[in-house]
Amino acid sequence: MKKLLGIAAAAMLSTTGMAQAEWPEKPIKLVVPFGAGGTSDQVARVMQAAIEDSSALNQPVTVVNVGGHYSIGARQVMEADPDGYNFLIIHIALMGGEGTGALDFSWRDFKPVAATGEFCLAPMVRKDSGIDTVGQLLEKAKAEPNTVIFGANIGAINHLAGVMLQESLPGAKFRFVQIGGGTANFTALTGAQTNTTVLSGAEVINFTLLPDGTENPESQIKPLAYTGAERFDGLPDLPTVQEEGFDMTFCIKNWIFAPKETPQEIVDGFADAIGAGIKTDRFQKFLNEKGFAESFLTGDALQKDLDDTWAAIEPVAKIAAEN
Amino acid sequence: MDIGALFGAIGHIFAPWTFFMLFIGTALGIVVGAIPGLSGAMLIALTLPLTFYMDPFDAVVLLISMYVGAISGGLITATLMRMPGTPAAVMTTLDGYPMARSGQPGRALGLGITASFVGGLIAWIVLFTITQPLSILATRFGPFEYFTLIMMAMVLIASVSEGSLVKGLISGLLGMLVSMPGVDPATGMPRLTFDQYQLNGGLQLLPVLIGTFAVSQVIKDCMDRGGIPERQEVGNSKVLMSLRELKSSAGNMIRSSFIGTWIGILPGIGASIGSVVAYTVAKNVSDTPEKFGHGSEEGIIASEAANNATVGGALIPLIAMGIPGSVIDAILIGALTIHSIQPGPTLFLTNNDIVWGMIAAALLANILMFVLMTSTVKHISGLIYLPKAFVLPIVMMFCVIGSYALNNTMFDVWVMLAFGILGFLLEKASIPLGPFVIGFVLAPLGEEKLRSGLMMTAGDYSPIVTRPFPLAFTLMALALLVWPFISERRRKAKAAKKAQG
Repeated sequence: MKKLLGIAAAAMLSTTGMAQAEWPEKPIKLVVPFGAGGTSDQVARVMQAAIEDSSALNQPVTVVNVGGHYSIGARQVMEADPDGYNFLIIHIALMGGEGTGALDFSWRDFKPVAATGEFCLAPMVRKDSGIDTVGQLLEKAKAEPNTVIFGANIGAINHLAGVMLQESLPGAKFRFVQIGGGTANFTALTGAQTNTTVLSGAEVINFTLLPDGTENPESQIKPLAYTGAERFDGLPDLPTVQEEGFDMTFCIKNWIFAPKETPQEIVDGFADAIGAGIKTDRFQKFLNEKGFAESFLTGDALQKDLDDTWAAIEPVAKIAAEN
Repeated sequence: MDIGALFGAIGHIFAPWTFFMLFIGTALGIVVGAIPGLSGAMLIALTLPLTFYMDPFDAVVLLISMYVGAISGGLITATLMRMPGTPAAVMTTLDGYPMARSGQPGRALGLGITASFVGGLIAWIVLFTITQPLSILATRFGPFEYFTLIMMAMVLIASVSEGSLVKGLISGLLGMLVSMPGVDPATGMPRLTFDQYQLNGGLQLLPVLIGTFAVSQVIKDCMDRGGIPERQEVGNSKVLMSLRELKSSAGNMIRSSFIGTWIGILPGIGASIGSVVAYTVAKNVSDTPEKFGHGSEEGIIASEAANNATVGGALIPLIAMGIPGSVIDAILIGALTIHSIQPGPTLFLTNNDIVWGMIAAALLANILMFVLMTSTVKHISGLIYLPKAFVLPIVMMFCVIGSYALNNTMFDVWVMLAFGILGFLLEKASIPLGPFVIGFVLAPLGEEKLRSGLMMTAGDYSPIVTRPFPLAFTLMALALLVWPFISERRRKAKAAKKAQG
């Protein structure tokens, strides 16, 4: 059996060796394991156009949405031919799913290609809550554990972020309640169904500011801090959680993965093309509009970032799963 | 009420491409509504995948104008062939066809078209007036309020759908059952997937809908080899209602429109029920109830005003609360979520342009429907006779493409085919499909709301009876469940008394 595998591997190496000389000779498929219109989909589609703008590849990139649960599209790419024409764009959900036990495969079953388009989150409360800093919020969750209701999409990004936030003050404990994504949490917090949640920087702007950038008096909620390592350009007055004295950052990058056995030359080639796309005006304008940081990573830097993220997220996901 | 936003949206619709969507939607809706065997739900379910790559504004304009057109087109077939083109036009056949047979096909169509227009208009005024205030109220709705409202909606649709309460409940429960696989809302873990990873996200709305509504109909049409029924020619008779007629039936028209609007607002039930109730009321208050069923103009007006009014009415809970007012609205929710638009109380805040686009489209499509129907009804009536051999393969092709396009997986195509067979079998057993789809759409929403409510109260169910809205909704649901049994017993008791006496 081992021998057979060896032969198969050798055969594969030789064919991929041939492929790389001409790669790409047909359109490259980029799978978005979410429905059309979401953040990952937007990043993928702008990236597709930006790579075309940059003329870095002589073949187009086609974006394919595979909806339903994100594990479906991710598994499709994991099991796809490692011929250099199958790629996946996904974010921290992939690690969260592995940590909570929802997935039976790992981010390590893929070959990392690149990362870009980073955004971080902001803990939110009602303006009439009497809470003004993230410290006060955490102290309250410590003084009265399991009473501060945290609206989340259980098992998803905002839940993991909430767990990580509560773990930054030993003894603090939120009560996590299934509400859903950003809009649903905005509604629940506005309607005082919940006491807190996290929203992305862009959502905070959308829900609390008027189009001219001043505070929307009708909005009943406010951000307390930003979970990035640095302040968010769109909300320059908002301190980071670290500035407030809690050792916690939680940011989401869009990662591009390939099937594990994809030849390194092709992975590097696609990473270069993504890098070229990111430099285009189109992509820069998109990042700006969305409040995303460029955060372009490849190679060893990317591997280190993935390892660090996993080290931080694995224990959090375990706690989230027990919740 | 935001007149400025409304005019902004109307202006937007008059952009050439968007107006084209409005035109195509209304016209296609009328034609599909008129062709027996093709329904509005089917048209909209099949159009949904085509809207993926459209601007969301254009997409909602297209879908809503189809909705308006399809509800209206059914009256043509109902009047000329005694076959409802859409289920909503069943009551119109009762009087439309006799009137057409007695040599007044033009008048029968004219009454139906004008009543449709007035019904749509009155419902639209209600939609325009109360949706925004209602959405503000709905932001104060917590999970228990939503859960009990959804429960009430499910009981409501089961109890008033055609056929028996038991069959309605079976259908609704079956819909709930097939919505269970997928991500458990309280743990975030996939459940009931039977080790099929394609089920990790549950069964998708679109293939299930296309299967139950379109494929099942195709199977049924293939089985049904009956001949073409006799039809009435419109000839050159005029189809416009006279002013005198309009004046004399104004009361009936307005009453039926309000009944239709109200039935539309009630979650889960739509056009068919609206026209039945309005027809029954019209008959009860009429000076000439004996004419009903023999070509009564009041009957046509009541049925058509009400079924069109349900469209505007049903959009109210959809926009204000994210709860579908009818089966087609359940599909519209799918359309909005595909465009990452979450229907519900915050829609006015997050997607103001889309909401006003929907409201403006409901108005403009209604006006366009009136213009198109009065000017082309004679030509449309010819389309009814398109041979099925042409229509069905095309429909089937769109079913496959539509299901595949959603997620680019063949799995969804198999799901669609399976639900086509299931839908066909259910209809064979005269189990209505409406509750099935509503159960499928509402059960996950209801479960999520209940479980988030329980997470908030640490497992305490008491808010269901201690808060005013949940208590009221629960009591109404119980009453709806129990009432058919009580009335049955009373009827039997009465009959027994009579037999004794």
